[in-house]
Amino acid sequence: MSAIPLVSNFQGDFVLQLIVVEPGFTMDQVAEAAAYHSVGRRVASRPGNAMRVRRQGSETFFPRNMTVAESHLQPMQCVEVMWEPEKN
Amino acid sequence: MAKLNRMDWYDLARTTNWTPKYVKESELFPPELSGDMGIPMSVWETYDEPYKQTYPEYVKIQREKDSAAYSVKAALQRSKMLENADPGWISVLKEHYGAIARAEYAAASAEARMARFAKAPGQRNMATLGMLDEIRHGQIQLYFPHEYVAKDRQFDWAFKAYDTNEWAAIAARHMFDNMMNARDAVGIGLMLTFAFETGFTNMQFLGLAADAAEAGDWTFSSLISSVQTDESRHAQIGGPLVPILISQGKKEAAQRMIDISFWRSWKLFSVLTGPIMDYYTPLAHRKQSFKEFMQEWIVGQFERAILDLGLDRPWYWDKFLEELDYQHHGMHLGVWFWRPTVWWNPAAGVSPQEREWLEEKYPGWNDTWGKCWDVIIDNLLAGKRELTLPETLPIVCNTCQLPINATPGDVWKVRDFQLEHKGRLYHFCSEGCKWCFEQEADRYGRHLSVVDRFLAGMIQPMSLEGALKYMNLAPGEMGDDAHGYAWLEAYRKKLVEKSAA
Repeated sequence: MSAIPLVSNFQGDFVLQLIVVEPGFTMDQVAEAAAYHSVGRRVASRPGNAMRVRRQGSETFFPRNMTVAESHLQPMQCVEVMWEPEKN
Repeated sequence: MAKLNRMDWYDLARTTNWTPKYVKESELFPPELSGDMGIPMSVWETYDEPYKQTYPEYVKIQREKDSAAYSVKAALQRSKMLENADPGWISVLKEHYGAIARAEYAAASAEARMARFAKAPGQRNMATLGMLDEIRHGQIQLYFPHEYVAKDRQFDWAFKAYDTNEWAAIAARHMFDNMMNARDAVGIGLMLTFAFETGFTNMQFLGLAADAAEAGDWTFSSLISSVQTDESRHAQIGGPLVPILISQGKKEAAQRMIDISFWRSWKLFSVLTGPIMDYYTPLAHRKQSFKEFMQEWIVGQFERAILDLGLDRPWYWDKFLEELDYQHHGMHLGVWFWRPTVWWNPAAGVSPQEREWLEEKYPGWNDTWGKCWDVIIDNLLAGKRELTLPETLPIVCNTCQLPINATPGDVWKVRDFQLEHKGRLYHFCSEGCKWCFEQEADRYGRHLSVVDRFLAGMIQPMSLEGALKYMNLAPGEMGDDAHGYAWLEAYRKKLVEKSAA
């Protein structure tokens, strides 16, 4: 199965960006792919925080270990990547 | 023999219709070119332009204007303007010429369409002069930057921009093709002359001429003032169409065309004029913020004009006013961050002093935009310039072709306005752009934004290198920070003072 392009909307950034993910990526890996283009470039990192992914318009995050394939995210849908304090 | 006064014969001279006997009226004036909406010829003949000029007057006055503008240029040939002016100002020139020169020439074709196919004789008359104006504007705005081409390759883009796939050139062509090159005579009158010219550019050129004078660039100042005097005449072609359309039950059609054009014009302004006024123009020379300029010269004026003509405020007016607070800040940050993809050198405009000014004019700037710039500044101070350069594409709007962006930080207002149409997913920056698309979806439907093209494999290799090649940007043309990052010194000093304390 081929790579899937998504629209990344990273919390605190100013612009939507193109990211490309694999169907087998977990949501943590999707968040990393999004963070690469925002965190440390225009968004300050937040130690002690995880990055969660949700479809734009949804109020719930995808489980962190859910894969892109399992999420049924379609090409060029918009994902919001947001900080969530790590539970200790 | 005593000569008649011009106003005694003007109306007669421009009453140039006759009743065709050998062809049908619809063959002389195909509806798809005239845009007549079935309105009778006798009604079109009531069109009365407010600003009248005869051909002998035109020739005399235009000759004087050209003499003046070209004389100033010749007199200042030896001035070292290019070497002495602030680099931010030089970038204003490059951006302006590249975005505008060929569009002016294209407008000559649009005026020519009105000159031939408008059913109103007055409109044909004024558009003939308008066509000559735009030929002048195309030529003069190619001739003037030409003297700099040997010194700086980016000035070559005064001509080259519109032949490239550079993203801002695509955005400009998309807008102008929609608004004037692919419209009928009535559409051109409303969308080019009324919405775009009286709405925006007439005022913008005045502001630009004043900024040029402040920057000591008298050649450009006299050029732009001169161009603007033509504009203030031919910009008035569209207005008199509105009462005619309203009286014939076509108010909705007129409103829609003007609303589309105003919104599209606003978006282009936010990326071209906004950064110029609030970031590239040296701080000491800024007379007004972009928002102040828009409110004083454009918002109030345009609102009055449309209401006076019997139209309504566009449905998106409140959203437009909201966007005055933030849209151009995002366009500026985007253009600076993606600076290798433009043909001018963006000035960052975020020295500590400039940030104070930005905070004063836009309260909350430092808590929002400033937060993004803080990360960029930290990276530059740490010698990590590569983190201030892009490694992916921004998503661009399928209408305005500009990066989809909004206020960052805690506010974080960024949103993808989506539409699925005939099985294809489209992305928009705003309700306004989405609405423009929906009004004429078939017209826009097949166009591919640069992102669509990238995903379709049209940009190879699929990297920044491939994108720059696709955009026809060669080394020596790609943008970089206008001041060579010299503005960082103030921050470096602050760091030193902090660690010394």
